[in-house]
Amino acid sequence: MAGEKQAASGPRAKVKIVIDGRPHEFPAGLTILEACQRVGIKVPFFCWHPGLSAPAVCRQCLVEIRGFPKPIPSCYTPVADKMEVITNSPKVLDVRRQMLEFTLLNHPIDCPICDKAGECLLQKHYFDWDVRLARNDGSKVRKAKVVDLGRHIVLDQERCILCTRCIRVCNEVARQPDLVMAFRGDRQLLTTAPGQRLDNPYSLNTVDVCPVGALTAKDFRFSMRAWELWATPSVCPGCATGCNIEIHAAHDVIRRLIPRPNPAVNKYWMCDEGRLTYKRVHQDRLVAPLVAGAPARWAAALAEVARLMAWARDKSPSSLGVVLSAQTSNEDLFAFSRLASEHLRTDRVYLAGAREGWCDEILVSADKNPNTTGAKLIGGPTVRTAADLKQDLKIGVLKALLVLGEADAVSPLDSLQTLVVLASHQGPLVTAASVALPLAMWAETDGTFTNRQGKVQRLHAAIAPAGQSRPGWEIAARLARAMGAAWTYANAKQVFSEARDKVMLMSGADWGRPESPVQLRFANSRG
Amino acid sequence: MNDHAPSPTSRRVVMGFGDAANLPEDDELPTESMPLNMGPSHPAMHGTVRMVLEVEGEKVRTVDVQIGFLHRCFEKEAENATWTQIFPYTDRLNYVSPMLCNVGYALAVEKLLDIDDKIPERAQFIRVIVGEISRITDHLTCLAASAMELAAFTVFFYLMKAREWLWELLEEVSGARLTHSYVRIGGVVADLTDDFCPKLRDILGRCRAAIADVDKMLTSNRIFRDRMDGIGIITRDDAIGWGLTGPVGRSAGLAYDVRKDHPYLVYDRFDFDVPVGSVGDNFDRYAVRLEEMRQSMRILEQAMDRLPAGPILLDDARVALPPKREVYNTIESMIAHFKLIMDGIVVPPGEIYSFTEGGNGELGFYIVSDGTGRPWKCRVRPPCFANTAVLNKILPGLFIADIVPTFGMINMIGGECDR
Repeated sequence: MAGEKQAASGPRAKVKIVIDGRPHEFPAGLTILEACQRVGIKVPFFCWHPGLSAPAVCRQCLVEIRGFPKPIPSCYTPVADKMEVITNSPKVLDVRRQMLEFTLLNHPIDCPICDKAGECLLQKHYFDWDVRLARNDGSKVRKAKVVDLGRHIVLDQERCILCTRCIRVCNEVARQPDLVMAFRGDRQLLTTAPGQRLDNPYSLNTVDVCPVGALTAKDFRFSMRAWELWATPSVCPGCATGCNIEIHAAHDVIRRLIPRPNPAVNKYWMCDEGRLTYKRVHQDRLVAPLVAGAPARWAAALAEVARLMAWARDKSPSSLGVVLSAQTSNEDLFAFSRLASEHLRTDRVYLAGAREGWCDEILVSADKNPNTTGAKLIGGPTVRTAADLKQDLKIGVLKALLVLGEADAVSPLDSLQTLVVLASHQGPLVTAASVALPLAMWAETDGTFTNRQGKVQRLHAAIAPAGQSRPGWEIAARLARAMGAAWTYANAKQVFSEARDKVMLMSGADWGRPESPVQLRFANSRG
Repeated sequence: MNDHAPSPTSRRVVMGFGDAANLPEDDELPTESMPLNMGPSHPAMHGTVRMVLEVEGEKVRTVDVQIGFLHRCFEKEAENATWTQIFPYTDRLNYVSPMLCNVGYALAVEKLLDIDDKIPERAQFIRVIVGEISRITDHLTCLAASAMELAAFTVFFYLMKAREWLWELLEEVSGARLTHSYVRIGGVVADLTDDFCPKLRDILGRCRAAIADVDKMLTSNRIFRDRMDGIGIITRDDAIGWGLTGPVGRSAGLAYDVRKDHPYLVYDRFDFDVPVGSVGDNFDRYAVRLEEMRQSMRILEQAMDRLPAGPILLDDARVALPPKREVYNTIESMIAHFKLIMDGIVVPPGEIYSFTEGGNGELGFYIVSDGTGRPWKCRVRPPCFANTAVLNKILPGLFIADIVPTFGMINMIGGECDR
């Protein structure tokens, strides 16, 4: 897989090379392309990808090396001592143009209807390195325009520039060799083996790595022009792995999630299941507080919750329980555990969440909660489990329950007199609740998740909360104030800072810098 | 003002009883200063501007000129538009001479792109031609409106008619009467129409006649001179100190014209003079503008005589859109077109201050690029921002009625001043 460099002269050996007349020093084993990238020299490429092996098939990254008769693919050639590399000679620039001319020879005139337009490497490289009028007016080789490759992917064979990145994603990341090249020359095309489908759990990564619009996601295809989207960094809520992602949204609607490189967590990838977690953000949302099933104003609903909780606490604190969910952020969890201990004065704090699911050894974790580690740290050693919750509900020691977020284990409900639910979605718990409060979701709030490695990773609000829903920490603070406390949290960062000071093992966490969404149109054609 | 009116000292209102003649001089009815708002919506305030006056009778004691009513976030909008999309915004800076703003902006971006010496010669001549037409329409508007505010309605009609001939000609070239968006980075968007030059020569002849008529009607007109002579005097030192440029600066004796002092485009090839005033009053500002129109006509005639043939847009798909036929039929030009429209021209990182002679003076663009398809910062130095500021200095001491011609001759254009 990626990153396995040949280390001919030992791991620490350095080589001295000259690039475009300037001397540099690099560790041995680095390729010329990577060396150029490190010193900010631009060399275009199609088939090379930092997370994949380098077959040097596109010939776009050719550079000159003094003493070599022919141009050399820089993505494939390791730096060597005393090497002299030239990336900007007339000859290199000419070769670059010629390679682009070849690639464009049979490329369809699809930009206006192509999903990749605006973030296309071919567009970028042509505009950066060529910008000459066409010299060819012959007819182009036609291939299939709509090939249904699998559950998530549609292929346009005409647009394919034969870089084989997608083949390598299947082979090296998903470890399921689904895709192959067939035929030769200008008839060469990408396809699946006869009778096979592209149905591995990482298939949508082929769309990201495709430098052009050959592979398109059925989910995103024709739904939005890419350059209209705004990108916000975040973390996938699908499982405990916590793949780093970018939320691509426009007008408060999320259109897609794409992986954000993080060598320590997900490298350059994420699973198909995680990519589609955004769908739930826009489905069946609870958009207003409900008191006894009827919509109510926030102030009235909070006053009712405060009344119910105070009554339950004063009558019998041992029958009052609080359920935390590993689906919610550290800030929400911290605020509610503080509320439970300081104002509800109960030690019956349970930790619940989503059911376990499938897993693999690549990225997918069996724990489908994004913040189990964080919830366990914040809940502390005394926090009770979902099994305890089920047992206590069955034997009827709980009379009043405050539930934060989604939890499977809250049943049976028969013995409860009071049930207050903070939920992002409609569901049986909301229907049964005395008061239900709408909770903002991961893509709508600032906050942090702690993944299975213990990394505290930052969420940024990409869209406005649905309806009247609010972040959990804010609801906790307003509830505490309604119960007579003097909480002053004004934003998630304040909650985070306090949690970092008080929760063991969170002390090294960093809130990070504020990130505002970037419109892809002006993100300099990231390709 | 009127010779027959009694002088302020010859007629007095007195307090108390008794023989007025026996009362001491200083028993005059005491006056109190009064605040008075002129604008922001006032018939004589062409352009939305507000003046908060403190008046003593008819005399202006203090003035506070308040601008900003036409603020449209030009500079902020420019940060969110591609380099090409900014042209329509520049049309709306000085909206009586949009071509000059178009040209000024284009030159700034071209310098940043380092293509300013590669612009086709014909495009440069066309830019001069449409720019000088715009300068004439700018001055025509200024003089027409000011004359009308002094009740010379005929002058207004004569000059507006002339302006309309010119605007109709520009409409033929650009497709829009007022907001032309005609200039592009790398040249202009369309060539002149086939019969442009004969038409312009004909119009210039008629304009000359109209301007001569107005010259006859106003320059020796007693009423006009009484309202203009010696009113709102700006000294040469003040003009330098307040950063006054254009006709306002030149009327104060400051012989600064960007076209002469820092020639751009092909201005150094033309023979023209820069009129300069000697008194710096309203009449000088009127006279300088009248003469500048004549000089612009000289430039126009020379430019038409020497107009070279050739392309009107730089032949570089990194900057200028490729021909439509290529865009529809080849992937290469399709990509270039797409990138230019969607991402914008890629301007290398850097900063530039580029300035031209606008209708009201030095029109400057200070632009910072971060290497993307839109400016990181696009600051405008609007000439009439500085020119308007000097009103606070020259208006106190004048009569309320003097504000109207003085403000008119400063020629504040809200679109440009407030951006």
